[in-house]
Amino acid sequence: MSENPWPRIGWRNLGRHRKRTVLTALGLAVGYFAVVFMIGWTEGLLAEMVENATGLVSGQIEIHDDEYRPERGLYDTIGGRDGADVEGLLNWIGSDAGVVAAAPRVYAGGLVSSGESTSAGILMGIDPARERSLSRFLDDLVDGRMPEPGRNEVAVGVEMARQLEVGVGDELVVVAPGADGSMGNDLYNVAAIFRTGIVELDAAQAVMPLADLQALITLDAGRIHEIAVATADPWVADDTAVRLGSTQASRDLGLEVASWTELNPVILDFVVLTESFYYIIFVIVFGIAIFGVANTMLMSTYERRREIAVMLALGARPRAIVWTVLYEAAAMGGVALIFGLVISLPLMFWWNVAPPDLSSLYGNLSMNGALIRPVLRVEWNMAIWVWGAVVLVATALVAALYPAARAARVPPADTLSGV
Amino acid sequence: MTGKVALLAALVCLATAGSAQAQPDPLEIINRVQDMYRGESSHGTATMEVVTEHWSREMTIESWSLGEDHSLIRILAPAKEAGTATLMADDDIWNYLPKVDRTIKLPAAMMGGSWMGSHFTNDDLIQESRLVDDYDIELTFDGERDSARVWEITLTPKFDAAVVWGRIEYTVRQADTLPASVLYYDEDGELARSMQFSEYENIGGRMMPRLMNMRPADKPDERTTMRYGEMAFDVDIDESFFSLRRLQSRR
Repeated sequence: MSENPWPRIGWRNLGRHRKRTVLTALGLAVGYFAVVFMIGWTEGLLAEMVENATGLVSGQIEIHDDEYRPERGLYDTIGGRDGADVEGLLNWIGSDAGVVAAAPRVYAGGLVSSGESTSAGILMGIDPARERSLSRFLDDLVDGRMPEPGRNEVAVGVEMARQLEVGVGDELVVVAPGADGSMGNDLYNVAAIFRTGIVELDAAQAVMPLADLQALITLDAGRIHEIAVATADPWVADDTAVRLGSTQASRDLGLEVASWTELNPVILDFVVLTESFYYIIFVIVFGIAIFGVANTMLMSTYERRREIAVMLALGARPRAIVWTVLYEAAAMGGVALIFGLVISLPLMFWWNVAPPDLSSLYGNLSMNGALIRPVLRVEWNMAIWVWGAVVLVATALVAALYPAARAARVPPADTLSGV
Repeated sequence: MTGKVALLAALVCLATAGSAQAQPDPLEIINRVQDMYRGESSHGTATMEVVTEHWSREMTIESWSLGEDHSLIRILAPAKEAGTATLMADDDIWNYLPKVDRTIKLPAAMMGGSWMGSHFTNDDLIQESRLVDDYDIELTFDGERDSARVWEITLTPKFDAAVVWGRIEYTVRQADTLPASVLYYDEDGELARSMQFSEYENIGGRMMPRLMNMRPADKPDERTTMRYGEMAFDVDIDESFFSLRRLQSRR
């Protein structure tokens, strides 16, 4: 016999009542799955929200003239009145390791009109090729194709198209106050209709090639309001923004480099708030499981009280009895963890790689200005898997404390004499 | 007994008559000021100089009006904008854009927007809302300011009026009931913009200030100055004049 027989005794006790052991372990395993899944799903939703809030239109970082925000004035272009070497800037920004894509933008407020209908619109001038490598809202057009430069073509949101009663090929009048005080106005053809899912954008945004908008509002070619930047991951945006903003080139031009966490703090607040609920999920799920395990352990030690009395009578110390029970609980936790992984891994893998689409049940949902697709998308978070395992085993051990203490106090003589 | 009552009644009459003379009716004054530029109908020209932080420009405009509900303003110069016109008929506002030969209807939400980049709003130019309908009118000062006797009349919006301003203060010269200045305050009671009148002359047979100078309070270096040229009042036009066809005629 080995020097320390107690772990072995604890392990073998699990086999004494296999069905009960399996059921209890399954309870813990389902608890483990519940935690990993709920947190994974919440993270999926948050990731979806952050990706859409930053990737759909705006980009993870926005670069402006430091006067531009919050008024977003027509004249506060990058580099001031003289404008900037836009191509050079884009190359410089693109050379940063954290940057995946960068695209220039011009904005103006104006009126978009067709027949008797007129909408107030936000006119957005883009570089079509660069824009498509950065934002996603023009990827899946509802109808038509991207507007081409120099042809007076415009893409409008689906809600604006509905309000103005226009379709692809129809004519629009666009009026916007120019930088020289004149009333810029021209005729455009609707080349495309896009849908972001965010009502404000779908109703107000009209997109045209950068140079066309600059011509409408009499802005020189070097004058742009924004360079939008996409980073590989929303969570590296802060570091990238700091890196870009602290360069000499950025200081010379008077640039303000702001990441989405600064531009859209509501989203970040929401992420932080939601993450604080993870603790509550842990507490609730394992709080339920703990009583099931405690009940099982209490029963199994009660059944063995004669055996325990014999061990005590033969000179086993009460502390050794406590260890046996705790070893049994730990082994139960180990079995439950294996069950939990067997349940969780394939499901989580499936929902991570190919999330089932629930849009037939819910339709699209927008939250804090970010579109959320109703898919059962889960994120892998190794920390949660590890913490889940630790808490699972801890739950089994804590649940066994009381049964162990009771087992250790079994009175040998009374028990063996059948009293 | 009856003699005493008659005497008392006479005294009361005298007293009220006397106070009516000393206390001018502010409503009447505001109505007269508002009608000054308009008359029953009018036709005239004006120049509008707009100075902003970023650019300045001058426009020549021609305007027609009839009553409160109809007006037409057409830009004559500069050449780039000549022919651009704004028509207000009843509650609708239309802009004609000669470059593209299209007419667009302004949404109601744009009434407070700038007219052709100036510091006047569409609402100002067209004077759609009659002040006496939307505001409570009160005489708040009666005395001498800048060596002229003036009335200061304060307009506060009525409870349910959908108006932009939190308060408007008119200063009106007592000598000829012509306006000296108008101060516009926002809903927080901060001065938003001020209009000064000057060069009081006989224009088209009536005394009126030839110059209106509008300054936004938050940008003291910016202004829009409107200088009236020839004006004719009570001209022979009727409602049919204010048509979309007229709006689009470039003349």
